[in-house]
Amino acid sequence: MSLPAADIARLAAWLAQTDLAALDLRGPGVHLRLHHVAGTVTEVEEPPPVTVITAPSVGHFLAAHPLHDHPLAPIGTRVAAGQAIALLRVGPLLLPVTAPCPAIVVDVIAAPGAAVGYGTPLIALHPLTD
Amino acid sequence: MIEILSDTALATVQDLGRTGALNWGVGTSGAMDPLALAAGNILLGNGAGAAAIEVQVFPFLVRFAEPCAFALTGADCAASLDGRPLLPWCSAEAAAGQILRLGLPAAATWRASRAYLCLAGGIDVPAVLGSRSTQLRGAFGGHDGRALRQGDRLAAVAPGAGQRPTGLGAVPPAFCLPLSQDGLPAIRVLPAAEYDRYTAASRAAFWGEPWRITPQSDRYGYRLAGPTLTPSAPIELRSHGIVPGVIQVPHGGQPIVQMRDAQPSGGYPKIGTIIEADLWRLGQAPIGSRLRFVETDWETALAARDANEAWLANLARLADLRRIAT
Amino acid sequence: MTSITLLGTTALLFDAPGETDLPTQQRIWALAREVETWPEVREAVPGMNNLMLVFARAPRHLAALEARLRDAWDAAVPLPREGRLVELPVTYGGDAGPHLADVVAHTGLTVDAIVALHTAPDYPVFALGSHPGYCYLGGMDPRITTPRRKVPVLSIPGGAVSIGGSQTGVSASTGPSGWNTIGSTTMCFFDPTRDPPALLRPGDTIRFRAERVIR
Repeated sequence: MSLPAADIARLAAWLAQTDLAALDLRGPGVHLRLHHVAGTVTEVEEPPPVTVITAPSVGHFLAAHPLHDHPLAPIGTRVAAGQAIALLRVGPLLLPVTAPCPAIVVDVIAAPGAAVGYGTPLIALHPLTD
Repeated sequence: MIEILSDTALATVQDLGRTGALNWGVGTSGAMDPLALAAGNILLGNGAGAAAIEVQVFPFLVRFAEPCAFALTGADCAASLDGRPLLPWCSAEAAAGQILRLGLPAAATWRASRAYLCLAGGIDVPAVLGSRSTQLRGAFGGHDGRALRQGDRLAAVAPGAGQRPTGLGAVPPAFCLPLSQDGLPAIRVLPAAEYDRYTAASRAAFWGEPWRITPQSDRYGYRLAGPTLTPSAPIELRSHGIVPGVIQVPHGGQPIVQMRDAQPSGGYPKIGTIIEADLWRLGQAPIGSRLRFVETDWETALAARDANEAWLANLARLADLRRIAT
Repeated sequence: MTSITLLGTTALLFDAPGETDLPTQQRIWALAREVETWPEVREAVPGMNNLMLVFARAPRHLAALEARLRDAWDAAVPLPREGRLVELPVTYGGDAGPHLADVVAHTGLTVDAIVALHTAPDYPVFALGSHPGYCYLGGMDPRITTPRRKVPVLSIPGGAVSIGGSQTGVSASTGPSGWNTIGSTTMCFFDPTRDPPALLRPGDTIRFRAERVIR
């Protein structure tokens, strides 16, 4: 998914007027990259879309269930919609963090055991569209 | 409503036990791991003491006849719902017709032997003498006073889809309340009446040596193998009340720990009693595993009870907050 | 000397001194009635001249409770209980009494002598315990005392009449036992739908009648 062409043109025109070398714009479902060299702005090819799963609450990030010796979502594996890919520990409570859609696990961003807050990036997924 | 699909079980309906009937010779029964049972209930928003199914032999399969929220705690048995893996110690929802399968307990990070299947509102069986626990010796309570069989149908008190949020989990107490000695699971014991009548060597061995849980171990009692415990002189006692956790030493010198279905009285010498707060640890210890007994004192034993209660209270408080938020 | 010991954090065990007898048991019944009213006590369970106090919640300060218990014992007056006499017909020996031979071997008495000594007394019900409806009886003749078995038997049927040490009793249901089974009787000792569920209670008396002796 990307921004409407008119918006991209406006951003490119603005960038060309500045001393900035690049603009990297991310938002829900949006990733735009513009490079600026000597007044010429080009749109860089989007890398494969990545959905970053963020913490739904405060807690401690767990990549594996305490009873398991393997992670819930190893990098490179495919996960189903609704599948638990991480856990947030709040005291003795465990809150599963689930994949919003079928996806491939691209990266585990948060460190296992790390204290996280609402919105902290946890895991990067490459959504599968089929 | 669930239907038992497995043909051999040693599965029984249990709650936290039947109290107040000792004067009629009726022991408490109840879950071998009461923390796991209570936690499963808390994850569903049930009262902590609601009845559940204690599963001891695996694989164990049930079919849900109608939509129902459920929770599985205790041993991690690679559970799946219609083949889809479930997280252990977590609540979930089953649709009508789905089959829940509990496999052999996995021992990746915690060796355990019993699982608890809790249903929304608890298992709906009549309370007998104040409890829904199965009294096997007396053949009453639970489901018809016996272990579950293939074809048995059990109702949940409050089934139904979407009645309560699911997907809540708990960190098992084995991780929140760890206890070990020289790399083995440890169990805290208070000396009992006949403790001083054992030889010094026997007492030292009782605390210092590992004990193995033999195959002759079940809900009535755990027979342990280890050093021979010898009294300084033969001991004959009158019959007296005992409780789960009492460690008796019959003539052979190998201890038997009385468990939830034990007789509520006996006459064998007692070397010690497991503190109530640690009974769940032994209740989960698998046959063939080894453990150590640790001598403790009254204050430490009460502190252990307080720690268990705080863990449950904390879980209940956080689960309630979570349910209000969603 | 009375002894008060712990059963973990779950209960206290109070043991009265001296030989096991009915007047002491009557004081135990009185003590049980008193301590049942204490807030720390969930249930008071008499045994053979002893009392188990199951805690409602293990108290922080044990010493104070133990002192109160000793005082209550000193003040305990024998509580006589009006009871019924129940006669049980027994088949002694054979398949009904698989361990009668062990009692013969230990005591040196003949089968007939053992049966005569076992059926002579009236047995007061001291307490219930062991399993639903099971009665601990006093009054057995010490001449047929036989120690509990070295290896408990995995299963003896309900109705089994047994000797363990200096005590005798009747099983109310099938289960394991470390006692020596000398005979068998038929009676329903426990029904959870009845109120009270147990047929017998402390203060009742049992008599055994030899219906048949298989030598």
